[in-house]
Parts: sequence; C-alpha cells; structure tokens
Amino acid sequence: MSECRLVISQLTLYVDEQLEPDRRIDVDRHLERCVSCRGMLARERGGQIVLRRSAPQLREEPLPPGLRSRCESLVREQTRAASLPGWRRTLVPTVLSVILLVFTASAIFSLATRQSDALLAAQLTADHSKCFKLFVSGNPPVMDAHEVEEMLAREYGWKIHVPPSVDGLQLIGARRCLYADGLVPHVMYRANGQDVSLFVLNGVTRKPSDLVTFGHRSQIWTKNNTTFVLVSPPDENGRLADATRYMMKEADR
Amino acid sequence: MFGRRERAAPDTFGDEVLGYLEPLYATAMRLTRNRADAEDLVQDTVVRALRFRNRFEPGTNLRAWLYTILHNTWRNRVRDTAREATDVDSDRIEELAATADGPAEVETPERMLLRSTMDADLKDALDELPEAFRQAVWLRDVEEFSYTEIARMLDVPIGTVMSRISRGRRQLFEKLSQAKNDAKVSVPR
Repeated sequence: MSECRLVISQLTLYVDEQLEPDRRIDVDRHLERCVSCRGMLARERGGQIVLRRSAPQLREEPLPPGLRSRCESLVREQTRAASLPGWRRTLVPTVLSVILLVFTASAIFSLATRQSDALLAAQLTADHSKCFKLFVSGNPPVMDAHEVEEMLAREYGWKIHVPPSVDGLQLIGARRCLYADGLVPHVMYRANGQDVSLFVLNGVTRKPSDLVTFGHRSQIWTKNNTTFVLVSPPDENGRLADATRYMMKEADR
Repeated sequence: MFGRRERAAPDTFGDEVLGYLEPLYATAMRLTRNRADAEDLVQDTVVRALRFRNRFEPGTNLRAWLYTILHNTWRNRVRDTAREATDVDSDRIEELAATADGPAEVETPERMLLRSTMDADLKDALDELPEAFRQAVWLRDVEEFSYTEIARMLDVPIGTVMSRISRGRRQLFEKLSQAKNDAKVSVPR
C-alpha cells in the first residue's frame, strides 16, 4: 500500500482524533510534504465541521401531526397487554388442588390469546389510521378489484381475493404494510364515507375475535390457514353493518 | 409467612422509546427523503421495538438498538421493493466516489465556515449524497454513534463504515463549496 493510500485510509480516525499518537505523528509527517493528502484532509475535516456544527438544527425535524399520538397508543396498548401475564405472579402457589392449577393454566392461555389478539388489532388499527391519513385524500377514485389483485400479485407476489366494490362500499386502494416479521396486504375501502381496511395474513391462524382498539373495531377470523382482519370505525348507527357483513362473507371466498 | 409482595418495577420501556421519536424521525427523513415514508418507517420501528422488546438487554444502549431496528427495517423495505438505485453495499459507489476525489484546489474548512451555510442548503447537499455515504455521515457526525455501533446498524465491516464516512464528508464539503461558488456567480451584485 502506498503511503498516500495508507494515510487516506486513516483520515477518518485522524479527523476524529482517534488515531494512536505514534501513528498520528507519522500521518502529520506525511501531510507536511503531500499537498494531495492535505487537500483530502481539508475536505474531510470541512465536511465533519459543517455537519457537527449544524447537528442540533439537523436533528430538529418537527414530527408530523398524529405520529406521536399513534405511537403513544401503540405503547399504551402494549403496556396494558404486557401487564396481563403479571397477574400470574400474584397467584400464590398453593397445594390446594390440581383443579386450581388447571383453572390457572386455562386462564393464562385465555389471557395470552387475548393479549395476542389485542396486539394484532392495535398494530393493524395503527396501520389503518396511518395509511388512510398518508395515502388517501379527498375523494379517491374507485378501483377495479381485478386490477388491484393483479397489482398485488405483480408487485409483491401475493395472490389474494380482493372483494369488489358494491353499493355503499368502494374499493379505493391497496398497499403493503408491515406486521411483525412480515409484510401483509392492506386493502382499503370507503363505506358510507367511513374508512374500512381489510388485512390478509397468509399462513396465520387465529380464533375468531371481535374487539375494540383505539376506538376502532377489529373483526378477526381465519379460513384455510389465512387470517383476515377487518378494521372499521365505531358504527353507532349501524351504517357499516351491511358493508362489514359483505366483507366478511366475500373476503375469504 | 405472608411476606410483603414485591411490587413490579413500573414499565418505562414504551416511554423511553417514545422519547426517541424526534431523532428517529429526523434520521428517517434523511434516509427516505420523503415525509410519508419517514412517518411510515418510524411507526414500523416503534411497532418492532415493542414487539421484540424481549431482545433488548436492559442497561445497554436503547438509542442504538432503536436505530438498528430503523435501519434494518429500511434495508428490508428497500430490498423488497427494489426501489431506486440505493445499493448500499455496492463497491461501485465507492469506486465512483474515489474518482471524484481529485487533487482539486479547495478552500480551507476555516474559510468555508466563515461563510454561512444555511441548514436548508446542508440538508439538500446531504440528500444528494449516495445513500450509503449519507447514512454513515449522519450517524457519525449528527447522531455521534461510534464506528462499531454504526457497523452494527448498517451491517457492514468497520473499515467500510470509516471509508463511507470519509467519502461522505468529502463529497458533502465539495457539494457545499460548489453550491457557494455557483451562487456567487449567478447572483448579480
């Protein structure tokens, strides 16, 4: 390795003042007689100084509205769910009976399942809110279900059935969302002016569940080793009843 | 017989994660150069941090752990979608950058600093750097992580990290110098 190349390979350590003293002396000696390496040093040091000087301003990037509250909701949900198994610790071990042990075991299983469903619902509800906020504005055009199916197959290799639009329910988009270790299809609808999402988790099985997270309803069901999650806003007037019934009937067809 | 029950320590993990939202978002903005993608990336990072919290060793650096998740998530997404030519591990980027490092006449850092570099100019210049260099200089000079931490985040050897930092700083300096010179020429006095 030529002396210049050796010095250049150590410039970052030199500029960051992390080069060992002996080596630093050698580099200094080389720099004294090498214009080219001095130029390199000046540029590297210049870049470092400008960045470090401006670091506080660069780190200031105002959070977009809604991001913090969504993340806070995720944390609250996770904390609440994580606290459930802690109840086990309050159960004083006794020798009373096998019945109590059996009862406890079933309770733990039940809690774990509920916790898992709540987390699933929380994550997907957060994605539901995020995607509609970020990617849907005004009155988006209605999309053709076959075209969406083709797009999901072409872009991501997913072959899923996308329920087509019907009266009172319009298909308006589809994208890929992150869930746990993988990525899942997120199909977006508008039903009587309300945002409705269908998530399809291939290879996942769950018991049917219907729960409310972050003020949204999550209906979870499984068919043929695929779990479907339908996320919809509160429906006090029953305006979404037809739409959700249709989706639950059509999605796993 | 009935000893006092130990009260579990309050779970502050989630709150600690929330405390890093702003820096994570600033980093995500430089990484994605797009508000929607940055927002998406930060939320996914939080989801993953909460989900895999049992993998975090208490007492170690939570900030570095979160940044590692953020970069892993981004890397997976870029790889999966094959979006834009970011190719973070490409030797080609290093080669191209090497050819850009000529023995050109440059002004000293001191003179450079005498001029006012607006933060917007700096962000623009940063965003123009190849992603591999942009990540490296950001993590080192803005977020002040160690070489080892950065190597873990970017999943590359330490030597590669230092090389990227070096080239990133030099290219950034050259871009800013060039922008200043262009501005001087184009603005009539």
